[in-house]
This record gives sequence, structure tokens and C-alpha cells, in this order.
Amino acid sequence: MTEASEKTKQRPALEELLFGLFLAALAGGVFYATRRLSVGTAGDMGPGYVPQAISWGMLLFGLFFVGRSFVIPGERILPPCWRALILIPLAAAVFSLLVMKAGLAIASFLCMLVASAASSETRPLEILVFSLFISAGSVLLFVRALSLPVPIFPW
Amino acid sequence: MELLDNLMIGFSTAMQWNNLLFCLIGALIGTMIGVLPGIGPVPTVALLLPFTFGMPPASGFIMLAGIFYGAQYGGSTTAILVNIPGETSSVVTCLDGHQMARQGRAGTALAIAALSSFFAGTVATIVIALLSGPLSKLALSFTAVEFFSLMVLGLVAAVILAHGSVIKSLAMIGIGLLLGIVGIDVNSGAERMTFNIPEFADGLGFVSVAMGFFGLAEIMTNIEKPSQRVIVSQRMKDLFPSLADLKAAFPAALRGTAIGSILGVLPGGGAALPPFTAYAVEKKIAKDPSRFGRGAIEGVASPEAANNAGAQTSFIPLLTLGIPSNALMALMIGALMIHGIQPGPQIMVEQKELVWGVIASMWTGNLMLLIINLPLIGMWVSLLKVPYRLLFPAILLFCCIGAYGVNNSVVDVWLMLGCSVVGYFFNKVKVETAPLLLGMVLGPQLEENLRRAMMLSGGDFSVFVTRPISAVLLATVVVILLVLMSPAILRKRNEVVES
Amino acid sequence: MQRKFTQLMSATTLAASLLLGTSAHAADEFNHLVRIIVPFAPGGTSDILARIIAPKLSTAIGQTVIVENKPGAAGNLGADAVAKAPKDGHTLLLLDVGSLATSPNLFNNLTYDVEKDLAPVGMIMFAPYVLAVHPSVPTKNIGEFIKYAQSNPGKLAVANSGIGGINHIAALVVAKDKGINWKSIPYKGGSAASRAVVSGESNTIINGATATLPFVTSGQLVGLAVTGKSRLKNAPDLPTFKEVGLPAADYGTFQGMFTTAGSPPATVRRLNEELQKVLAQPDIQQKIAEQGGEVMAGKPDDLKNWLHASIKSFGAEIKAANIKVEQ
Repeated sequence: MTEASEKTKQRPALEELLFGLFLAALAGGVFYATRRLSVGTAGDMGPGYVPQAISWGMLLFGLFFVGRSFVIPGERILPPCWRALILIPLAAAVFSLLVMKAGLAIASFLCMLVASAASSETRPLEILVFSLFISAGSVLLFVRALSLPVPIFPW
Repeated sequence: MELLDNLMIGFSTAMQWNNLLFCLIGALIGTMIGVLPGIGPVPTVALLLPFTFGMPPASGFIMLAGIFYGAQYGGSTTAILVNIPGETSSVVTCLDGHQMARQGRAGTALAIAALSSFFAGTVATIVIALLSGPLSKLALSFTAVEFFSLMVLGLVAAVILAHGSVIKSLAMIGIGLLLGIVGIDVNSGAERMTFNIPEFADGLGFVSVAMGFFGLAEIMTNIEKPSQRVIVSQRMKDLFPSLADLKAAFPAALRGTAIGSILGVLPGGGAALPPFTAYAVEKKIAKDPSRFGRGAIEGVASPEAANNAGAQTSFIPLLTLGIPSNALMALMIGALMIHGIQPGPQIMVEQKELVWGVIASMWTGNLMLLIINLPLIGMWVSLLKVPYRLLFPAILLFCCIGAYGVNNSVVDVWLMLGCSVVGYFFNKVKVETAPLLLGMVLGPQLEENLRRAMMLSGGDFSVFVTRPISAVLLATVVVILLVLMSPAILRKRNEVVES
Repeated sequence: MQRKFTQLMSATTLAASLLLGTSAHAADEFNHLVRIIVPFAPGGTSDILARIIAPKLSTAIGQTVIVENKPGAAGNLGADAVAKAPKDGHTLLLLDVGSLATSPNLFNNLTYDVEKDLAPVGMIMFAPYVLAVHPSVPTKNIGEFIKYAQSNPGKLAVANSGIGGINHIAALVVAKDKGINWKSIPYKGGSAASRAVVSGESNTIINGATATLPFVTSGQLVGLAVTGKSRLKNAPDLPTFKEVGLPAADYGTFQGMFTTAGSPPATVRRLNEELQKVLAQPDIQQKIAEQGGEVMAGKPDDLKNWLHASIKSFGAEIKAANIKVEQ
């Protein structure tokens, strides 16, 4: 171990802890979502048998990671880049909200613009021109050539 | 030599100029839809089916088959260049293929993918010609018990895919299995975890999930850091693999072909098992497994070969037994019936020209794919010259359109969006998503076959060890798990041996 | 995905219908694109049937007719789409009507009313079932088989193409009538069920003649009996269920066409007339025969009555057998 990496060690190991909690929460969610499904027996398994069996496994894995996070040292996690984390999904959301109502042309253009705002290296004029170009291209490719059943424009 | 006679009949059919033309059209269409994410061969074939009504059955069938393997090939181009798995099978190609592209070896990766596919296609054609009989017997000797054990083996192979901790990979497989359970349960008809979204009744769309975890999550992780310039060289020397590359790739392609040829025959394994298994094997037998996931050429050659070989041998149950091994083959049966040809075991005898013509056309088709794709490599690679700040919004857009196109529904775009956020979280806590995807593909079949096997045996778990094929498969699982779980023991033993 | 291509196809069908010389009497009932929605994946009987009928119907009504697959939820996703389509008779549903008859009895969360939201256009075809077994079952004819089944409870496993499907119910009905105790094993579709019985995973099957007879011919399965009014031309040795006194004698695959309820009666009438004309064409009859079925044209009311009666009778069987789908 070099000294530099020694410095970034921390306890509890955040990576392990977060992943463990995620698994436990997932297991809880599945238990809740399948609570009404019958479990049945090995000879005649109900629809709830396998999901609940896997969830027990996930819960054990989760607890294992949570426990281990307090035992082994972990590396420091860089804080999430909120700009990317919010804007990239937002761009996809813009696309799905607009595509049927405003048409593919506008949805594509705005989707790309929103996405591009996620990067600090984006140059405004360049991306504007490029987005126009790509949006026009995808309309031609997907609607004209591949007959994707979406409107092109809102009118 | 009956075999030679049959192959002669086949090639005389496949080499007719109109059949060559249809083969070319099929391969071209296939490549195009393969490159675009989200657009698969099944709807394309369904769409083109009516056009084949007027053709001789062999020509129609040759064209549809061309679309199928063309799409298999096209998917790997997208995977290598932009790390988007447009088909189930290209998830594995993403792992090392895209890493090669990042190191400025996109041309090599694409060429190796093309050459491996062609090689596998050639061998698989011979395999079909020689071994259809025995292989179809193998397919029939698999019942629910064997399928379950095979799926378990496949999942354990998924552990090898990742290079992080074994326990984390197992946990990721579990998450994948849970995702795979979403939808209507085959055994009871009950809806499970669909949250009253009708679009989820037939399960989560794999392509949307894969694009979320791979494509979008990667964009989010990438733009955090200042972009590095990808070296793009378009000198001939850098576009095509060197002798050393070929030497490394050839044995891997050979192993991949063998794995793909066998697994492709088994119904249900589908597109996922051959490439995943081939990759796992390469990584396990490599002298330095740490190279995998960082641009190992074997990690491209072997899965690509396995994928293509499997795609071709999946025709065997159809041609010899009249049993489709996947959705596409079911469509092909429909195509045959429209031509008044009764699919079934007698087809090999009654329709010699058709069956052997199609088999021979697989080889001509693969040759055409090679001819189409090698010159295109330069063009594909130049795509990487576009700076990342422009490339990523375009990739995102194509993912959105692709996800929408899977079912013509925005539900899939929302699903992809959700997966991208979770995928970003996984990147942050440094767990790898490839095992999750394999778990998701194999999960439904794992459960279906487990429950069926239990119903048939009356709840007796011992069937899994008393049936020989299943016992061997499960024993392999145990051995792999032991080896994986005890790297420390193994390392010590190696040290002892070396000293 | 489906739709983007079906639209591409629409252009080509249009071109085709132009080439074929679309009849000039493009009547006012149809003024834009007509879609046939098949609520199952491409390649099944309904899908193929729709693709055979679409170009003929297109020529007859002077509009482009495209086939669109909308699989999911045992056919209910596609049926729901038709139920909620504009009430202009331009959205058609072509499907195995058996699934429409069983759905209201199996699912209490259906998003549409089978009888109220769909308007029958007409029945299209009927394909009988074949009862067949794996050669490992030591019986050569139906009489021996029934005796064997009665004296070996739990030994026979009957593959079906999905829970609550008509062939699932057929197995239950036969079991109840003859006092048989066998296992029902559900599969994802008929071809998976066929594979399972050919490989011996399950050992008995009641399934469509098209998919099953080739295996009987090749000796991989032993055929025992067929449903329907008369014996099959290409398997004259097999007695009908009726001859040997088995129940479920009129079970089989029924394919029919519907449109959105509330569509103009004139449009529905015209659709029915054109459908009957299409079904009377010799090449269509031949293609359907090749699918192992027989044309079963009729008036909308015939289909309506059939559906109503079937929902009742299947409902009774489903209740008696205590088949439940958990929600």
C-alpha cells in the first residue's frame, strides 16, 4: 500500500455499506411487492416461491456487506456529479414526454440540448448546430426510412 | 458420400445468382438493423415475410436467414464503438471491444469481430452439415432438469465475467434474477412485480435495461472527468489486426466456435449463453485474467465466434426436428408453412434443396458479411473522431429512440432512464453490471425449468443429481465455485509449486 | 418496433395493391389505413393467418391493410388496444378467440369488457386438436390409454401451451370425465410444449394438429385421437373424440376477427362480407388447410353467440377445476 492510497481509506467502507443497504432495500421491496403471491411447496411452487427465495439471499448478501463495511477499510467515494446525474436522466425524460406530443424533431433537439448541458466542455453554438443536424438526421432515418410511428412535428 | 452430395445440392442452390442476391440483401438489411440499437431481427423478419410469399421457398428462407446473422454481426459494431449493447449477445462484446476502441484499437476490434464471426460461420456450416443428427439428439436429451442445471452453470459463468469480488458478482446476479421475474408467471399466470403497468406484463425489455446500465450510466460516469482524447489512427496498419493479434485471437475464436456450436442447439439458451460462456472460458484459461475487461483481444474474438456459431446451429432443431429454438425460428416455421412446407422431422429428406441450400447460404452469407464490413471499418473508426462533448448527446438520443422503438412505447424510455440512475450508483460503488444482465436473461428460464422439474418429480430435488447430464453440469458448477471462492488457497498452492 | 416496420410494410402493401389493380369501388366505409392487430408474437397461427388475409382484404376494401403484432398478457394487451381504438372499424383484432373466452374467467383485472368493448366481425377458421403421447407410454390406442391413465394416477404429465388455454382446459375436462389423475404442465406456447413431449420431459399432449401431426407421422409421438366433427384427411386412422366417447370433442383452435365496439354497423357489415368473400377464395382455403385447419366463415352474430356460450362453458370448467390466476 502506498501512502497516498492509505490516506483515502475510510471506515465504514462506504462502497460496501451503500451496496449492502441497496440490496437490503431491494429485498424488502420485493417482499412487499410479492406479499400476496402464494409461495407453495417444492413440488408445486407458487408464483411467490422463487422471488422470495432470491430476496432472502439478497437480504443476507446485504447484511454481509453492511457488516463487512465496518470491518474492512474502504476507499473514499468521490461525491456524485449532480449535474450529470440530474441532466442525463432529465434529457431522456424530456424525450419521452415530448416525443408523441411535440413530435420527434422537437423532442430530439431538446433532448440533445438538455443532455449537452451536463458536460462542462459543451460549446453553445457548436452544440446548437450539431443538435439541429442530428435531429434532422434522425427524423430522416427513423421516420422516413424506418417508418417509426411517431409524429415529426406537433402540427 | 452422401454428405458431399448434399452439400453439392446445397451449394448449387445457394450459388444461383438470385439466391446470392437475396442473401446479400438479407445480410445488408440485417447489418443495418443490427447497428441501430433496439431494432431486432424478429420484427424485421415478420415485416419482410409477406415479400417472400412470391419467391421460391429457398430464396425467401435464405434472405430471412441472412437478416438474422447480419443483425448478429451489426450489433457488435455499436457495442465496440459506443459501448451500447443493441442486442442481448453484444453485452459481452462491450466489455473488451469498447476498451480496445478507447485505446485506439477500434479498427482491430472490428476486424477481429468480423473475422471471428466469419471463421465461426464457416465452421458452423460444416458442423450443421456433419453433426445435425447427433446434435439434435443432444437437444432432445435436455429436459427441464438439465436446463435448470445448465442455467445454473451459465449464471456461475457470469461470476467470472466481472473482475471484482465474487460475492458482489453473486449479489448482482441475484438482482438480475429479480429483474427477470417481473412479468406474468408462466406456471400460474400471475402478474408479478408489474406494478400494474401492462407493458411490463411480458417482462422488462432487455435492450432498455442494458442500454440504461451500459450506455447511459457510462455517459454519466464519463462526463464527470475531463475528456481524454481517443487516439484515432486511420493508417492501414492500425485499422487491421497485426499477426500477433491474429495469433492471439485464433485459438480463442476456435474455442468460441466450439462453445457456440453446442450451446446454440439447445432451445431456450438463446442468444445469451454462447457469448457469455465463451468469454468466461477465455478469462478462466488466460494466463493473465486481469487483462480482460481492459481490451483483451480474446475477449472479442471468442464471444463473437460463439455468438455467430450459436446463431447458425440454432437452425439445427428447426431443420431436423421442426422445433423452433427461439422466437425467430418460430417465425421461420411460419414462413415455411406459408409455402406449404410442413416443418418437421421429414423435412431433411423431403426438402433437400431447401434445407441444404439454406445451410450452404449460411456460408455464402457470412462471406458477404465479411466483404460488406471490412471496407466499412475505416468509416466506423472515423466516427470516433467526433469529440465526446458532441458524441454523448447523440448517443443518448439514439438510445432514447432505440428504447422507444423496442415496443413503440415511452415506457421503455422511462425504464432505461431508471436503470441509468441505478447503473450510475453501481459504477459509484464499483460493482459491475454484466453479471446482472446475464442473471436477468437467464432468470426466467431458470425459474420456469426449476418449477417444471419439481412438478414432474413431485418435489424431489434429487433428480438434479441422479440424471447424468445434470449431475455433470452441477458438478462443474461446484468445482468452479470452489475455485472462485478460494483464490487464496489456490495462490498459495501455486507458490508452493513454483518454489 | 413492430409498428415502425408495419408502416414501412404498409407502403409496400399499398404498392402491391396498386399493382394488383385495387378495385375502383373504394367505398366510403373505409377512408384511411386499416390495421389488423395480432395480440401474439409473430409466427403463430393468428399472425400467419393475418398476413395471408391482409393483402386480400386490402384489395377488397381499397385501403392499405397492415398487420401489427402487439403481444402481451395472454393476448389481452392487444385486445385492449382494439377495444380502446377509435370507433370507426379501422382497427381489427385477429386472434385465437379461445383466449377471449377464457380471459374473463381467469383475470378479474381485465382492462376492457370482452363482450361489450369488442364487436365481432366473423369467425375465420377452426383447427382441431390431436391427443398424442410419447412412445414411452405403453399404449397403442385410445382405449388402452384411458385405462392406463386411470390405473396409473400421477404418472402422466400433460403439456399445455399456457395456463388457462383451451388445451389446458381440455386436459382437465377429459381428466374429470374419465376419473383420471394426471399432471398439467404449462409451457410458453405450443411449440415449447411439443418439444417437451417429443423429448419425453412431459409424456402426453393435446395440441393443434398442425404442430403435432408431423411428429406422429415420423413416429416420435403416438397419435391417439383428434377433436372436431370428422377424422383428419392426413391421419385417417385416428378416431375422433366423439367416436370414442371423450368429452371436449368440439375443442380446438378457433380464429376470429373483431373490431372496436360502437363502430358504424355498415362498416362492420361490409367487413364481414369482404372477410367471407376472402375466405371463399380457393387459394385462401388451401393455405388454411395447409395450416391444418378448415375455413369457418360466418356472420358477426355467429361469432357473438359462440363467444357468449364459450365464456359460460369455459367459465364453468375453470371454476370446476379450480384454476385461479393470482393477481
